[in-house]
Amino acid sequence: MEQKSAEAAGGAVAGPKAYGFLTAVESGTHGVFGGYLLVDPWGRPLEFHCTAPVKVSRAQQILFGSTLQSHLHGQQIGGTLLAEGSVAPEVVLTDLEPMLHVRSHTKLPVALIRGASSGSPAATFGSAVGTGSFTIGNANVSPHVTDAARGDDLRERLEELAAAVDLCEPFERIRAAIDEAQRR
Amino acid sequence: MTADPAESRLVHSWRATELALPGVAVAARVEPRIARPAALRFPIDAPRPVVTRVGLFDLRPAVQSFHFKSPVAQPPAAPRRMEPTGDSAATSLRVLPPEGPETEADAGDSTSTPKRTRIAPPADVVKLSERFFYLLQPDLETILETSSLEFPRQPFPFQFDGMAFLMPRHGAVLADEMGLGKSMQAISSIRLLVRSGQARRVLVVCPKGLVSNWTRELADWAPEILVAVIEGDQQRRRWQWSLADVPVKVANYEALVRDRDLIAELGLSFDLMVLDEAQRIKNRSSQTSEAVRSVPRRRSWALTGTPVENSSDDLVGVFEFIAPGHLHERMSPKAMGAAAADHVLRRTKDKVLKDMPPRLNRDERIELSPEQRETYRRAEEEGVLRLSELGQEATIQNVFELVLRLKQICNFDTFTGESTKLDCLEADLEEIHASGKKALVFSQWVETLGRLRSKLSRFGALEYHGGMSTTARDEAIRQFKQEKKHSVLLLSYGAGAVGLNLQFSQYVFLFDRWWNPAVEDQAINRAHRIGAAGAVTVTRFLSANTIEERIDEVLRRKRDLSDTILSQAEAPAASGLTQDDLFALFKLSSPRSSANRDAA
Repeated sequence: MEQKSAEAAGGAVAGPKAYGFLTAVESGTHGVFGGYLLVDPWGRPLEFHCTAPVKVSRAQQILFGSTLQSHLHGQQIGGTLLAEGSVAPEVVLTDLEPMLHVRSHTKLPVALIRGASSGSPAATFGSAVGTGSFTIGNANVSPHVTDAARGDDLRERLEELAAAVDLCEPFERIRAAIDEAQRR
Repeated sequence: MTADPAESRLVHSWRATELALPGVAVAARVEPRIARPAALRFPIDAPRPVVTRVGLFDLRPAVQSFHFKSPVAQPPAAPRRMEPTGDSAATSLRVLPPEGPETEADAGDSTSTPKRTRIAPPADVVKLSERFFYLLQPDLETILETSSLEFPRQPFPFQFDGMAFLMPRHGAVLADEMGLGKSMQAISSIRLLVRSGQARRVLVVCPKGLVSNWTRELADWAPEILVAVIEGDQQRRRWQWSLADVPVKVANYEALVRDRDLIAELGLSFDLMVLDEAQRIKNRSSQTSEAVRSVPRRRSWALTGTPVENSSDDLVGVFEFIAPGHLHERMSPKAMGAAAADHVLRRTKDKVLKDMPPRLNRDERIELSPEQRETYRRAEEEGVLRLSELGQEATIQNVFELVLRLKQICNFDTFTGESTKLDCLEADLEEIHASGKKALVFSQWVETLGRLRSKLSRFGALEYHGGMSTTARDEAIRQFKQEKKHSVLLLSYGAGAVGLNLQFSQYVFLFDRWWNPAVEDQAINRAHRIGAAGAVTVTRFLSANTIEERIDEVLRRKRDLSDTILSQAEAPAASGLTQDDLFALFKLSSPRSSANRDAA
């Protein structure tokens, strides 16, 4: 676990160039499933990790209050999944804002991604979304506040992948896989 | 030492004994002490409050991990940039709208999202890791685009669907209607499997007349893949079968039957075996079917536009190749359709090609000339009389011979050589020839084709049939395609109904009718297929009040069977031109039926 934690913290073993896609899917009956897909520069899958469902109780909702989502997504699901990756990606992309909080548990750059038409989320006080958003292909990328100054670096890292796939598309694959896992 | 009186007054509560010193008078005020009341203790036995521990996600959720090694297609050295491609004959695959006339709406709509095709795992893939392998792949368009594959033209969306259907399947029947590009879909799928290393040895088996068609299509759709055609004498074939560094081998059915033992002797096995015109193996006890099924292979794909030609047993025969035991002849059409569903993909032109030029059907009901009619009448009366005389001894062969004789008279009067069909055909061809268009004429008989050629020489008529060598046939096709003076190609149903791409022809004539509507459809679809520039007019000659009309009635009933099984509906009562049907053409009862009735 220590080794994995080290990898998640950005000291992962060197390997093929990879990109991480991290998201979660809420199922009414089971709870929240997490999914983490690592792809190569052509968008082809290298690794996929998914969690067992995490069910939040009413008491937990009350006690965590407004911090529930960031704790659940950022630490419990996101942190756990990133620790499983055997390759350190260039960047971890998520389509869920609470998942940005995983940045507190990794040294990897993390960014929120949205379809370009939906615009970039505002970088407000206390928000994990940093400034320095940029558009690449059909996607709008907003780095975590920690990585706000690395906008150009992140854009450069993502250019290769964005030339091959729509950066929002791999999340659909994760959702399809989680849906398949639930049916099995 | 004397105490200051003022100071002493400040002392209030000290005890005198504590302050008494020898020789010193202390004025002290002593206040009485109040005793603490005795405390009454009432022990309370109430338990300690219960503490509820609320788990705050102390435990990390369990994680399942999957690692993917073999790609679905080999990526290029570096991803390609999103740059526009230039106009060239062979274009890189781009996600573009399908071919077809561009409408104003299409041209102005830049916001529409192009269709993306997903490779769904087949139902018989059970392992979650294998299902994830397919679910987590990029869409097919992206895979092809990033593989830098060159295509002669942009595939249609339904062709991407066909590739996504074939690629993950170990047993598949691509049963698209003729003209939708089954071979192109199979070749593109083969190409992806070969490039990804999932297939290193592929065997394509097709009818002899289509071998050159397949090599042409392979050169167009998979130009970088080496292909060997199995042909020549045994020594040469042995060498061709043994070629280890040639990924794709093409053999005709006859060669496969002939080399069955050689394949076993060489210990050959294939990662993929593709059968074109797979209805050839519908009869499971045939040599062809047995030879095909004896070849060791991992994947089996069957291509056929007519998976059900005569009866549902045809499909069982094909399934013995792709998924042995999956279907059996005792199944109802509905049950068979359900069992076959995940293995069969069938699309029809009217469903997938909304912009396909229309096919205009014209049933030309022709009256025989008086002389022709008289010849016909005599032949039929004599034939029926002979059958009646034979009674229970009459065989299907006797009936068949009579049918053939009457059909031939419908084409040409055997005594006078008259033909009202030919008169009609000539009239139509005059116009077609004058307008610089092309026509295909199909007949059941090579002899009829020969007579037609001599009569239609002014239209530059060419022949194409099984009696010609492959070279002569290829030359006929080349001339018909390239030389304007050749307006007519005369084809036999046997050789010309399958595999040829003659979509530059605008007219199809069925000079006489085949026994099976599916074969007629195949013939028509030589012209009415992808790439057809305009409407295709199909003229079916039918001699009025003759055996041709009676056969047509039976064929109309038969036409629905294929659709019935493939749409999982109930089968119609009549499904084929059976022995009973043939006898009924002359209002005779089949001896077999009579025997059955007697037995009952």
